[in-house]
Amino acid sequence: MTDQLQEEPKTGATPARPSVDQQRKARRSQKAAKRTSDSAPATKPDAEKAAPEKPRKAPASDPADLSPAQQRRRSRYTRPRSFISRWGVALGLVIGLAGGLFYAWSINPQQEFDTAPWQLREEDRQQYLVAVMLSHPYRNDLAETLQRLIELRFPNDDPLQLVADVACDLARTGYVNSSSGLRAIRQMMMFYQTQGKSGCADSLIPMGDEDAPDVVQVVLATPTLPPPASKTPTLPAPATPIPAETTAVVIPTPIVTTSTFTIVDGPRSFCSSEAQGVIEVRVQDFEGEGLPGQPVRVRWDGGESLFFTGLKPERGPSYADFEMEEGRSYIVDMPGLADPSRTPMLAEACFTETGEQSITSYRVVFRSN
Amino acid sequence: MTRFLASLLGGLILGGLLGLYLGWVQFPVEYVDSSARDLAERYKDDYTVMIAEGYLSDGDSQGALERLRLLEVENAPAYVQEITERYITNSRSPEDIYALVALSEALGRLTPIMQPFRNIVVPEITPTEGAP
Repeated sequence: MTDQLQEEPKTGATPARPSVDQQRKARRSQKAAKRTSDSAPATKPDAEKAAPEKPRKAPASDPADLSPAQQRRRSRYTRPRSFISRWGVALGLVIGLAGGLFYAWSINPQQEFDTAPWQLREEDRQQYLVAVMLSHPYRNDLAETLQRLIELRFPNDDPLQLVADVACDLARTGYVNSSSGLRAIRQMMMFYQTQGKSGCADSLIPMGDEDAPDVVQVVLATPTLPPPASKTPTLPAPATPIPAETTAVVIPTPIVTTSTFTIVDGPRSFCSSEAQGVIEVRVQDFEGEGLPGQPVRVRWDGGESLFFTGLKPERGPSYADFEMEEGRSYIVDMPGLADPSRTPMLAEACFTETGEQSITSYRVVFRSN
Repeated sequence: MTRFLASLLGGLILGGLLGLYLGWVQFPVEYVDSSARDLAERYKDDYTVMIAEGYLSDGDSQGALERLRLLEVENAPAYVQEITERYITNSRSPEDIYALVALSEALGRLTPIMQPFRNIVVPEITPTEGAP
């Protein structure tokens, strides 16, 4: 390199940039010099230590002589090494984030609280909607009612049509078996009909003008066939005129009560080791006589069971029973014939008079009005 | 290698904490198909008030009791009484209180604190045509 530097003035040409090979050689010599200086005994004078470093500083004194890539490479090797591995941190962040989310969403998710109505299951949302509809006549605030309907987040975008659809669904179920359910559906029908909507409930449930009486056709007389001809002569008939035809009279009658049967006794609880958690139902006519074949329904959270009286003749024609599950609460009614029992029947543990553990049983008596 | 492992560990801790924050606080799991029993208290209150308002409209206390069963409370009359007294104590909307007091009274839970709010005439229940 010294020879080259000495030769340059002779040629008189512009000093040429060192080639890449020359630079590499220079760097190698610098490193070798550094190693030599590092391995030298510490007793060497400072001047001797500094001497080999001169060639190292030469390339750094003129960085413009290096290409940008060379400068980058050079700075990369000369700058102090970071204590943090960028790749390590990035990899750790990704894995940690994924693991944290998996733990927070799947393994140990946040306990359910602050549940909003839209998060309810379909049936409960429908019941919530019914409540909104029932309160509407009292509040008479259409905007608020619509807002509450929208907040339920049913798939239907139109809240008014939503009411019609839910009314349709409920009208197809046993919800209409009770007068309160029927009234609720009519309330919904009134709501959406006034808003110009329609649904299948319109055809399933007549709106019913409550002021207009029902018309019941009562046939007062039945036609009597003439007696067969007999061999013995009959006396001439008296001159009493016989009506030529029967008449049908239409008598308007007021609306009658909704329930045919009512609970006259019970539900009365008792504790017996023989009957554990049993609902004993009896259905009687208005004179107290047992009626077989009458439908009785027991409902609980998430289910219902329909059974009939008289299927256990040894207990009488009016008798039917149902076995409860411990811990559940039940109500009993006669679908379409009697309103449900007011108090729920809870199948809870009890002790008999003899001290035996059993499950509470109930007796209910329905009687015709 | 030590430098890489230390950085990886640091990243894991940071990422894990970030994931927990996002999963528990920022974007927690949203449950659906829940039971009405799990409703937030304010929505349970709203539901009860709506049922009470429905009772004021139709006078059907039995129906109201039936609908309150949705909340799966053990003692519905006591529950209505508790909400009514809380509404009165917290000076909530008088309209809501009137309705709740009327329903409480219908369920046999009229207490002295409710007396000033019971000047509401509840319509008599009318038989529904077509009901079985």
